[in-house]
Amino acid sequence: MRALLPQRFFKQELLPLLADLRLAIVLLLAIALFSISGTVIEQGQPLAFYQANYPEDPALFGFLSWKVLITLGLNHVYRTWWFLALLILFGASLTACTFTRQLIALRWFSRTWNFYGQPRQFQKFALSAELDHVSLEQVLLLLEKKRYRVFQRQEMLYAHKGIVGRVGPIVVHASMLLILLGAIWGSLTGFMAQELVPSGATFKIANIVEAGPWAGPQLPRDWSVRVNRFWIDYTPAGVIDQFYSDLSVLDQGGEEIDRQTIHVNQPLRHGGVTLYQADWAIAAVRVRVNNSPTLELAMAPLNTEGKGRLWGTWVPTKPDLSDGISLIAKDLQGTLLIYDTSGKLVSTVRSGMATKVNGVTLAVVEVVGSTGLQVKADPGIPITYTGYGLLMLGVVMSYVSHSQLWALQQNDTLYIGGRTNRAQVAFEREFLEVLDQLSQQKEEPVPPVLVES
Amino acid sequence: MNLVTLQNWLDNYSFAVLFITMLVYWGVAAFPRIPYLWALGTTGMAIANLCMAGLLAARWLEAGYFPLSNLYESLFFLAWGITTVHFVGENMSRSRLVGAVTAPVAMGITAFATLTLPSGMQASAPLVPALKSNWLMMHVSVMMLSYSALMVGSLLAIAFLVVTRGQNVELKGNSIGTGGYREHSYRLNRRSELALETASTQQIHNGSTAVLERPPQPLAEPLSPQRLSLADTLDNISYRIIGLGFPLLTIGIIAGAVWANEAWGAPWSWDPKETWALITWLVFAAYLHARITRGWQGRRPAILATAGFFVVWVCYLGVNILGKGLHSYGWFF
Repeated sequence: MRALLPQRFFKQELLPLLADLRLAIVLLLAIALFSISGTVIEQGQPLAFYQANYPEDPALFGFLSWKVLITLGLNHVYRTWWFLALLILFGASLTACTFTRQLIALRWFSRTWNFYGQPRQFQKFALSAELDHVSLEQVLLLLEKKRYRVFQRQEMLYAHKGIVGRVGPIVVHASMLLILLGAIWGSLTGFMAQELVPSGATFKIANIVEAGPWAGPQLPRDWSVRVNRFWIDYTPAGVIDQFYSDLSVLDQGGEEIDRQTIHVNQPLRHGGVTLYQADWAIAAVRVRVNNSPTLELAMAPLNTEGKGRLWGTWVPTKPDLSDGISLIAKDLQGTLLIYDTSGKLVSTVRSGMATKVNGVTLAVVEVVGSTGLQVKADPGIPITYTGYGLLMLGVVMSYVSHSQLWALQQNDTLYIGGRTNRAQVAFEREFLEVLDQLSQQKEEPVPPVLVES
Repeated sequence: MNLVTLQNWLDNYSFAVLFITMLVYWGVAAFPRIPYLWALGTTGMAIANLCMAGLLAARWLEAGYFPLSNLYESLFFLAWGITTVHFVGENMSRSRLVGAVTAPVAMGITAFATLTLPSGMQASAPLVPALKSNWLMMHVSVMMLSYSALMVGSLLAIAFLVVTRGQNVELKGNSIGTGGYREHSYRLNRRSELALETASTQQIHNGSTAVLERPPQPLAEPLSPQRLSLADTLDNISYRIIGLGFPLLTIGIIAGAVWANEAWGAPWSWDPKETWALITWLVFAAYLHARITRGWQGRRPAILATAGFFVVWVCYLGVNILGKGLHSYGWFF
């Protein structure tokens, strides 16, 4: 008996609580409410940012100092334990609801059609009426014309349409579980990596940012990628039009097995791994000083305090390195700014051109860009996408209203009643139409003026 | 014809037409007996709808891509969507009141777009790389249509709240179908009104309804349909239109997630716009569940829908005003 206790607790206490609709509503609204905090408070900023913007005295609203903010995790709301706990509770509630309410609703389909054999049973419907001199046959034909599925037993009739509207919510709930499952599976077995690779270089996927505990088999071991070229197309106005990376997939022997040019919205897929065009940078500049061979100088990103992106390098103009110039680039359009050691702008140069500075001729051959690639494998995607598809199908199905009609013929009187679950207004119109048409059928011949209504 | 001149003409014209339409619909609500006034309002709404469709088409021709890339265009798309959903609602409910709430909102949106928005924000601008995809049309247009439907639905919920102020009401439409049953108080309260209704309906239907032909019998009263009241109608149409907006919102969010996953491998990144779309979804999901929860029916779902109206606005506009940037998915560009 003792062993049964936890099971009984689960079935009689926990499950009904989790499946309670009021809990579901409260959870929906609570997730909404807490999500708002993450859109109002800046997320993922360095500590100094919060110290500057949320001082202890005076604290925002009298309590929201940076200490409170950090303790509650409001700087990364969507990854805090309490937000995740809320999501897990929501998932539990959804699961409980799906199995105890939604799937149970399927029983509706297995039941035998209920016919109403007593006139008083029609009194409970808001929409019901009694008609004289109308046969059940007329009702049957009329409802079939209105696309109802009609069932008849002796003098009783049952008709319904829009049954998909009953199945819809079940599909919605089950598909949300599927999406949840796909997300969990993906986070356990998938990985995400980021690579910043200069044009011309070959790389193996190594800089793993996130990986699930079972991500091992997804990691590419026997192939590498060569960036043949990275470039940016600009519009005539100088605005970025598109980023392109010409990539080759190489096998262990260095042989090319696939080659594609990717851009944003057009990734490369190979062996379950997808490479997305995600970022870019300037890797180096190739220059000639006077008659020197072409030198490749690495360019480093400069700290602009969030005001745009700049890269710079230093070019010596004297053999003993006692003097030189700084080359600054802001994009791959080809124009470089030249500053002297005192920080003064002295000249500009375009790639492919030369200029005279500090008594030397500086020729810029090329600005070399690097492509920022996001690399991802997510084995949960097929599950998630199936869930997405079913969810879309389910919500559309859920729009349909399930309408049911009952009729009973007793002596000369026909009782008819009906109801629908969603579209009351449309159903009322349809029901009155049915009554109209039935009563017109009995008073024949019908003058044409009366038909028009 | 010059497309830009045409656009300027069309946006001012749709604003002016909507302004007049709004006044006409208010007139319809205040004086229901004036003939042709309702037809005039409907015509005005149709003209405004066509003007905005023309404006968006001209934009599409001019820029060469689906015109939903900046605030000006999306505002007009929203107003166009609201006028379109207005027709759905008006046709469903056959109620004159729908226009009284939809016209002012559509008018307000066009006024904001034409008069308040600086001309720099009205001009069409080239798309950033992240948005150059066929998904743009799919995702954004479905989202905007869902906003329009949810806004119209919530507006009708507000109208319902106004009509039923101070009353206890029981809602009828929901997914499990608890509505559709007769209220027992009805026959007692409406005994005399039923006869009146019978008379008036008889005029309209030329006495074609069998039930209504019978003279009212005080004792053994035959069964006759219990008609929906104005509040019932408003509530149900509000529910149906929110029911239309909710699948659209779901499809729009999913389209966005699939696009984001296909384009840069991250279906969900908790960006403010995404988060607010989720919040909108959650609020309306709560609304739909409140309708089937015992003890939560009555006016409470309508209050949730009213809150939903503001949530949709924050999701659509507020996120930009918060200074959190546009919904520029290409966070690194």
